[in-house]
Amino acid sequence: MSYDVVGKNIIRVDGLSKVTGKATYPQDISMDNMLYGKTLRSIKPHAYINVDISKALNLEGVKAVLTAKDVPGKNHHGVLFKDHEVFCEKKVRRIGDPIAFVVAETEEIAENALDKIKVEYDEIEPIFDPIKAMDKDSPKVHDSSNIVYHYKLRQGNIDEGFKNCEKIVENEYKTSRTDHAFLQPEAGISYIDKEGRYAVCVATQYPHYDRLEIAEALGVKEEKVRVINAAVGGAFGGREDITLQIHLALAAMKLKRPIKAVYSRKESFNAHCKRHPLIMKYKTGADKQGNLIALKAEIIGDTGAYASWAINVLRKAGVHATGPYEIPNVEVDSIAVYTNNPFSGAMRGFGATQIPIAHEQQMDMLAESLGLDPLTIRMKNIFTKGSKTSTGQILKESVPLDKCLAEIDKKMNFTQSYKGGVKE
Amino acid sequence: MKEIKFNVNGKTHKLNIKEDERLVDTLRNRLGLTGVKEGCSEGECGACTVIMDGETVTSCTVLTFQAKDSEIITIEGINGENKIHPIQKAFLDEGAVQCGFCTPGMILSAKVLLDKNPEPTREEARKAISGNLCRCTGYNKIVDAIIKASKYLKREGN
Amino acid sequence: MIKEGIGLGTMFYGTGYGNGFPDVSKAEAVLRADGKVAVHTGATEVGQGAKTAMTQIACEVLGLKVNDIILISEDTSNMPDSGTAAASRQTYNTGNAVKKTCEDLREKIKEEAKLKLNLNTDIGLKLKDGYVYVETLPEKSIALKDLAKDKSLKIKGSFTAQTTEMDPETGQGAPYWPYTFGACAVKVSVDTLTGEVNVLKAVFTQDVGRAINPSLVEGQMDGGFSMALGYALLEDINVDNGKIKNDSFTNYLIPTSLDMIDIDNILIEDPENTAPYGAKGVGEPVMIPVTPAILNAIYDAVKVRITEIPVTPSQVLKELNKSKK
Repeated sequence: MSYDVVGKNIIRVDGLSKVTGKATYPQDISMDNMLYGKTLRSIKPHAYINVDISKALNLEGVKAVLTAKDVPGKNHHGVLFKDHEVFCEKKVRRIGDPIAFVVAETEEIAENALDKIKVEYDEIEPIFDPIKAMDKDSPKVHDSSNIVYHYKLRQGNIDEGFKNCEKIVENEYKTSRTDHAFLQPEAGISYIDKEGRYAVCVATQYPHYDRLEIAEALGVKEEKVRVINAAVGGAFGGREDITLQIHLALAAMKLKRPIKAVYSRKESFNAHCKRHPLIMKYKTGADKQGNLIALKAEIIGDTGAYASWAINVLRKAGVHATGPYEIPNVEVDSIAVYTNNPFSGAMRGFGATQIPIAHEQQMDMLAESLGLDPLTIRMKNIFTKGSKTSTGQILKESVPLDKCLAEIDKKMNFTQSYKGGVKE
Repeated sequence: MKEIKFNVNGKTHKLNIKEDERLVDTLRNRLGLTGVKEGCSEGECGACTVIMDGETVTSCTVLTFQAKDSEIITIEGINGENKIHPIQKAFLDEGAVQCGFCTPGMILSAKVLLDKNPEPTREEARKAISGNLCRCTGYNKIVDAIIKASKYLKREGN
Repeated sequence: MIKEGIGLGTMFYGTGYGNGFPDVSKAEAVLRADGKVAVHTGATEVGQGAKTAMTQIACEVLGLKVNDIILISEDTSNMPDSGTAAASRQTYNTGNAVKKTCEDLREKIKEEAKLKLNLNTDIGLKLKDGYVYVETLPEKSIALKDLAKDKSLKIKGSFTAQTTEMDPETGQGAPYWPYTFGACAVKVSVDTLTGEVNVLKAVFTQDVGRAINPSLVEGQMDGGFSMALGYALLEDINVDNGKIKNDSFTNYLIPTSLDMIDIDNILIEDPENTAPYGAKGVGEPVMIPVTPAILNAIYDAVKVRITEIPVTPSQVLKELNKSKK
């Protein structure tokens, strides 16, 4: 079937504005009578706080210093659990938690005012190790257990499965905490539009959800809030959670003037979520011919101080823990844990990116121990049309992994460069 | 305060500036040239790249007084008001743009390369943009675009 | 000594929020008085090409040119909710919503054309380049702008991806749809004196279902490869007692143009029935097989299995020394 437009290399419709420099990112917008906002963030990972803003308020040119008291609606947000506070009221849970938002006539005044806010930190024992954080007696980041989520995958009989294996390989893998490092730091501008709505112009992945969260914090109906998504300078999951949206809208609501804020690169690093670092214990077994028989995995994800997308990330990690292979006996436990580290959330791949660092090395270890080459062992086990995944889902169509591997072998000669699993 | 004169995109500007005013702020906030992007404020990402007297500079690490009497080109001035420059066309044709935040800086780095070296190799193109970070494209289509632009420019020159 | 090795990584990825969550995208299509079609949908352009893909889908359904589709996707006051631009879901989910909505608009246009052209049926009508015409008698035609002169035609539509909630004790269920597949192979060099790893060659195959825009897909593959290269060899925010040590581009290193190589990108097309023109999302999948391929290639080169990323030169040297003992 051929199409007129689908399948064609149409020049991207947003391209011209971008090559000419006319594409408008939120930091490129200025308005008359505009004020500037700056965020005060926690410098301690776990502490009760007491905030005194009086000196900052007295500084000439400072229009407002917003704290938890100034949130008329609910002082919370979060993509799944509402475990973030718009401004920390009593307790900070990570370095970088927002405590106050200064609004002033100029950026310099706002910056200076940050130093005049006095925060007393009454430190609580922090917890940084996700494994220790699972202990009943460990310090609690939120009120209840630090275990946010436990996904269990059970298929077949794992003990029997391993008994029937010719070779079993075991290892523990660890992945790093990484940043999206999109090139455009967070920025935004908020104002009251002609219809009386609180308009917030930002760069976000999901404007409608931002609108809902802003409305809830402002204590107004959703229709009273309008989110305008300017050009977005990359996201990769890092613009899923709210950063400055609510702060800006609160300031516009209170001061009835446009407010702009632009994060520095450093603040961007300290404001948005990170990729979940995972600890992955893997045990994989195959029969003599290289058919996978059993896989057991324990996956622990450090979600830091807030859950963000932890449930979806560790769920996705758990479902994909087998890799694209049919394995009759599977036991996977995938657990998300709170700590006082920077919070983890969405980042390109949602847990499915971390997992192959384990399962793909396991495959090569098995191949080597069985005298197979890396491509052949995969070809024996990959999903094809009609395969059942370890969750019992039937892949009824469009499963061209065999074609993918065949193309690779044509170019890289895995099967030819190995004889009996040993590379020549 | 200090008065300086410089030429930006073919137009002479006389400005009173603060001693510590950064060129990126002068261009963006006072001249309204928001095609100059700021990504890191320490000269690492190259988003704020402009051409100053024929060389690329990161305008976040240049103070405006250092630009005294210089000629500056930003993305807005690369080819007058209307028509797009062959490098811009090549970036579009080769799909070298994604989020677009690095794009103005990339195009200006490409221009300085092509002004000096009209027929660069892929390696030379890679080197020329090595001070411009891009998180979206993996750079390869940008390199393609620079090679394509050199052909467009050659054709135009003939 | 410089040693070389090759490595392979294979992946699958389930699209969407998953697990029975209502994964909904909405769209509205309006035939305007100027004959252009406005498509309103909340699909965010983050650089991945959502605006272009949605425009191409609408063009295909309505037989229009790119300039005749006005995509409105930036302001909550004038577009319906299409979910987040994450989980590689926009092409599949919102692509389906746009396709379905535009198809309904096409049928409405045909009904109107039937009346205006005094036809006995709307069967056999075709839309092309701003006209509706009888395929067997092309002179019998009417311009879209003439159809919309008196009243604009407007359609709303939505699409929800099919997933089920998994059993809490066994994890059994159909958590995502569709799945996307891919594989990557790389050749690396490892300098056993300095610990430096360089990627020399890469072949990258990506299942796309069907590519709406192959150039955009290749751009995703290059970008995904680059991010995965950084993940494998460079990137760590380095947290110490809760504090991010690497919070600037001077110490949080991401790949530059000199770290990247030209990649042999191969698109594998095997259209998915439930997807718009068979197209599956690739935004995330393109990152996934690359890091393990690099790790396996390092092993092939120096016979040391590195289980922690990023694989910095000092870590390579540490592991090499350990293996000597």
